Amino acid sequence: MDGKQTPAIEALTHLRSKICNRNSIFSFSSDAPDSNYNKLKFIVSNSVTEACNNSVLLLGSRGCGQVEVLDLVLEDLKAEYPEIISVVRLDGVLHSDDNCAIKEIAKQLCSENQLLFSKMASSDDNTQFMMAVLREYGLAHKTVVFILDEFDLFAQGKQRLLYSLLDAMQSVSSQAVVIGMSCRLDADQLLEKRVRSRFSHRKLLFLPSSKEDILRLLKHILTLPEDSMFPRDYVITFNKKLHNMFEEAKFKEILDTLLDADSSVHHVLNFLFVAVCNMNLESGYLSVENFKTALLSIQRPYKLDSLQGCSVLELYILACMKRLEDKEQNSYNFNSVMTEYKHIHDSYRISDYYARNVSLRAFEHLLQRELISFGDSRGQNQSIEFRPVKLLISSHELLQGLKLYRSCPALLQKLMTGELNKMKAHLVDVEMID
Amino acid sequence: MSMTETPKKPLRPTPKPKRSSNLTPKHSPSSILSFAPETPASLRRSSRRIASIVNPKTPQKPPVQDKFIVEDAVTKTPKSVKKPSRRKASSIEASPISAPVSPDVSEPKRRKRSKDVKLEKKEKKKRVYYKKVVYDGGEFEIGDDVYVKRREDASSDDEDPEEEECRICFNAGETIMIECDDCLGGFHLKCLKPPLKEVPEGDWICRFCHGRKSGKKVELPMPPGKKLSRTAKEKLLSSDLWAVRMESLWKEPDGTYWFRGRWYIIPEETAAGRQPHNLRRELYRTNDFADVEMESVLRHCSVMSPKEFSKATNGGDDVFLCEYEYDVHWHSFKRLAEIDNEKEDDKDSDSDEEWECHKDLSSDTDGDLDLEEESLKGSANVQLPTHQLAANSRKGQIYGLQKIGTKKIPDHVRCRKQTVLEKAQATLLLATLPKHLPCRNKEMDDIAAFIKGAICDDQCLGRCLYIHGVPGTGKTMTVLSVMRNLRSEFDAGSIKPYCFIEINGLKLASPESIYKVIYEAISGHRVGWRKALQLLNERFSDDNKLGKEDNRPCVLLIDELDLLVTRNQSVLYNILDWPTKPHSKLVVIGIANTMDLPEKLLPRISSRMGMQRLCFGPYNYQQLQEIISSRLKGIDAFEKQAVEFASRKVAAISGDARRALEICRRAAEVADYRLKKLSSLPDFASAGKPLVSMADVEAAIQEMFQAPHIQVMKRCSRLSKIFLTAMVHELYRTGMGETTFEKLAVTLSRLCASNGEAFPGWDTLLKVGCKLGECRIIICEAGAKHRLQKLQLNFPSDDVAFALKDSPELPWLAKFL
Repeated sequence: MDGKQTPAIEALTHLRSKICNRNSIFSFSSDAPDSNYNKLKFIVSNSVTEACNNSVLLLGSRGCGQVEVLDLVLEDLKAEYPEIISVVRLDGVLHSDDNCAIKEIAKQLCSENQLLFSKMASSDDNTQFMMAVLREYGLAHKTVVFILDEFDLFAQGKQRLLYSLLDAMQSVSSQAVVIGMSCRLDADQLLEKRVRSRFSHRKLLFLPSSKEDILRLLKHILTLPEDSMFPRDYVITFNKKLHNMFEEAKFKEILDTLLDADSSVHHVLNFLFVAVCNMNLESGYLSVENFKTALLSIQRPYKLDSLQGCSVLELYILACMKRLEDKEQNSYNFNSVMTEYKHIHDSYRISDYYARNVSLRAFEHLLQRELISFGDSRGQNQSIEFRPVKLLISSHELLQGLKLYRSCPALLQKLMTGELNKMKAHLVDVEMID
Repeated sequence: MSMTETPKKPLRPTPKPKRSSNLTPKHSPSSILSFAPETPASLRRSSRRIASIVNPKTPQKPPVQDKFIVEDAVTKTPKSVKKPSRRKASSIEASPISAPVSPDVSEPKRRKRSKDVKLEKKEKKKRVYYKKVVYDGGEFEIGDDVYVKRREDASSDDEDPEEEECRICFNAGETIMIECDDCLGGFHLKCLKPPLKEVPEGDWICRFCHGRKSGKKVELPMPPGKKLSRTAKEKLLSSDLWAVRMESLWKEPDGTYWFRGRWYIIPEETAAGRQPHNLRRELYRTNDFADVEMESVLRHCSVMSPKEFSKATNGGDDVFLCEYEYDVHWHSFKRLAEIDNEKEDDKDSDSDEEWECHKDLSSDTDGDLDLEEESLKGSANVQLPTHQLAANSRKGQIYGLQKIGTKKIPDHVRCRKQTVLEKAQATLLLATLPKHLPCRNKEMDDIAAFIKGAICDDQCLGRCLYIHGVPGTGKTMTVLSVMRNLRSEFDAGSIKPYCFIEINGLKLASPESIYKVIYEAISGHRVGWRKALQLLNERFSDDNKLGKEDNRPCVLLIDELDLLVTRNQSVLYNILDWPTKPHSKLVVIGIANTMDLPEKLLPRISSRMGMQRLCFGPYNYQQLQEIISSRLKGIDAFEKQAVEFASRKVAAISGDARRALEICRRAAEVADYRLKKLSSLPDFASAGKPLVSMADVEAAIQEMFQAPHIQVMKRCSRLSKIFLTAMVHELYRTGMGETTFEKLAVTLSRLCASNGEAFPGWDTLLKVGCKLGECRIIICEAGAKHRLQKLQLNFPSDDVAFALKDSPELPWLAKFL
């Protein structure tokens, strides 16, 4: 038993570290001549060897490995041409302000060359410094690579930074590469005319992988290497079981569901990580069940889950709001919801009726859980009772949630479905009898 | 900051404590800066120089010699220079290397000399600076390169055969000699075995080197009887002689002539040693300076840039190549910035040069040039701050840039032959300025006429020109090239001095800071913008002030003028108001993209600006074609139709020359990539000519102009496709572009139900929608709004239909598109 557990734990750590090392995963699929890796490497190395300026945009939805591929390229080029490539990294979220970005550039250039950086320097000084450094770099045959992550955020405002960078690149004889990364496909359209004219419009598109690629990637990642510290028979059984599992219809179904929603590599890797962590250490092998639980945890129905945590009163409030909407009353606030609640109570004689202040607490709780929200941002200083609210859960989900709720009052469910009219009639009958 | 930094030096607010002009490398930054490397451990140069200055304590006035002829002398008053303590004491006659007194001195020269003496008497203890000195029969000028003797006692230095001897027959002779590219030895053609008829093309290696290379032991033939005499070149390359570039020349009060020199260094003496790509005749210029007495000068040599070097066919033996500067402290290399006319795109050095011109001019008149400035002039990058300064702040004056340099010159720079395609890419770069600008002759003439009309008149009236045109039509470039022409005219002396300030509106921190920049450019002082505005107002409106420098006409180029529009438009008004003042002598050239900028402004501004306008229309396809082919002249890389195709395409869209050049460059890159990838495969080794074809241009245009959304839609996940289809369906059903997530989910669930697709659940669907929104395939509100989230397609529904119509996995989508 013990002898078996150790390789299982080791295998687990091995697989986890393999999954987390994203650069190596992307290097796996970068051999093809028309892969983005090769194209990007060609462009950047061209700039290094031919002393030219370039600007490239890496476009593609999130999780398709722009950053990883770029890192790989830079790593390789730095190894190929040691000491002559400097990298300046900016992020649109952090440095969308032009002055701040210029400062950051100066700072990184300073630290790259062991120069002293002054925080007090004005942005004029920093710009001049940047230009001077670019020139010197050009004279020393060195290349600067500017990486602008979240490129679209740099395109706000007057785009001073982009203008200075791109203008420097066409006036100073430097060798610099500006690499913008963005998930917005129309990122280059955001540029101002004069900036766009200076941009050299190289675009690399990162597409989600196809199913076959993902399957190949899965095999690559999950297969244990034969020549390693694991016991040989363990590795062989592990890999054999794995291959059998890949053939199973159930596994294929799970994978399909996953890829239907999002076929980006990052998504798959997250899924794999959860699956591998679910691995049963007793048996020491991956099974379909692991992947199934991983899928469930990665595609959770969040709204339904949050409904499960609500109290009965909160469910009543939601139901009341739903009824108000059914009555085509589009704008309602806490007070009108309370009126409806009271109405239901009166007409159906429900057992759980709560006082107004208790209801208000429940209402606030719903707001915090974002099951409901304020209709507009106006009237911030009004008290909660009077601000119009909106229901943020579809009737379909609400119904489903009520069905799943463990101790849901029968009346509440009936309220939601069409049965309530029948019941109302019944109640009227009862009253008449009385 | 966009202005060309015309007056660079006056930026220093207060004159720094005098730096002694006989600065030795020992006092170099390394001793002052804590973070400097400890490398300059007793540089060979300095030790040698000290050795050459023997006996420092007995300054003797050398006898007046008739061989000094001084031309173009400028006298300066060194403010606090102590008399050079180390002086070469051995009188010139006594020194063994003393040059023979040239006996034939003509009478006028004598007179000149006597004048010089008088001058010296008048201003005792002053150094006299010269631009040119005739010493020992040779003319030495600032900027000349000379050999300097290394040891005083070396007898071998005496002989200096001008003519190189043949390595085989040891006669110089008049017949043609060939130089071995490896050992640089000379050979008579007829002495070779077998004899050569003519000098062969390309590299040639003598049989001795050839033998040595193949591992054999080769014995060079020894000259019969006498010692092998070496030329100065050989001595230099075996570090027995040194080469130096003269940076300034002066005469000490005691009559000795000195110069401040900048050492050249041979590759073997660098930290990196001789690198494989070093040429035999290559030298590096260092940033190491020393004061050397003229005595130790042997004679001229010439150190050339690679361009000149390749042109120099009959340069003789003393020709060297210098492409890099070597930093002696950091052991790093840097390409020499070609300050002279070659690199026209080099703005900084350009304006630097310009400044020097002005400076020279002014020094002619008042002759009060600070010595310190003089000594710093050549050593701009050897700044020795008293304490550590930040590199990026103004006070540091971008201090420490010499640290940026390669430790070794990368091989790929020198050892590789460019292919045709790579050459084409290099010439198509936006940064490489063409020699002349095609297609803008008329505009150039207009601008030149305008500027000349403004600055050449005695009564310089202020004027204003507004230039507009879409981006990439050469507005700025045309103005700059006019200014360059003007400068060369100024250098030739046909027009009066002027100052030129270039400002880019988009590079200013705020519109108001333009005052600061202008004032700094004019006067060299940095003040706040309010103060600067006040001073500028005074300067331009005050008519009785007649400062010498202030009197120059000023050409102000403001690029991206529209950025200066503030709410009350006061900045523009002020700037455009100055030219109307009677004695302002200000010429403003504004450049912007919009045609009707003056009309959008207040009437008082547009009346001042809108008078003279120049429109740069977009280029048509012939012009673009001409621009491209003028750059590609001599490089046979493009199919003719390919260039035409690219230019027609761009002309139809924007007429932007930058675009056209970029497309062609990209096309060349695509072709290059294709060829390189193919040639790595063995069976394609000889595939195709290296020519950019239509297909490559097409690919480049596709990349530049085509939005990538169709490709993304084709490759996106299954649910995203269904999502998009549902969006289109909803659009057709309601006729409204905008929909909410709730409605869409209902539609989608119906679509799924009718086509046997499992409904994925609302939360997954919301995620899919947000992911599409991230790529801007659809426009959507934040996902937190859930069912109220508004959605809209960002592209025409036809695009979606086109992309998804024949997707193999979901054939039923076609029904709903």
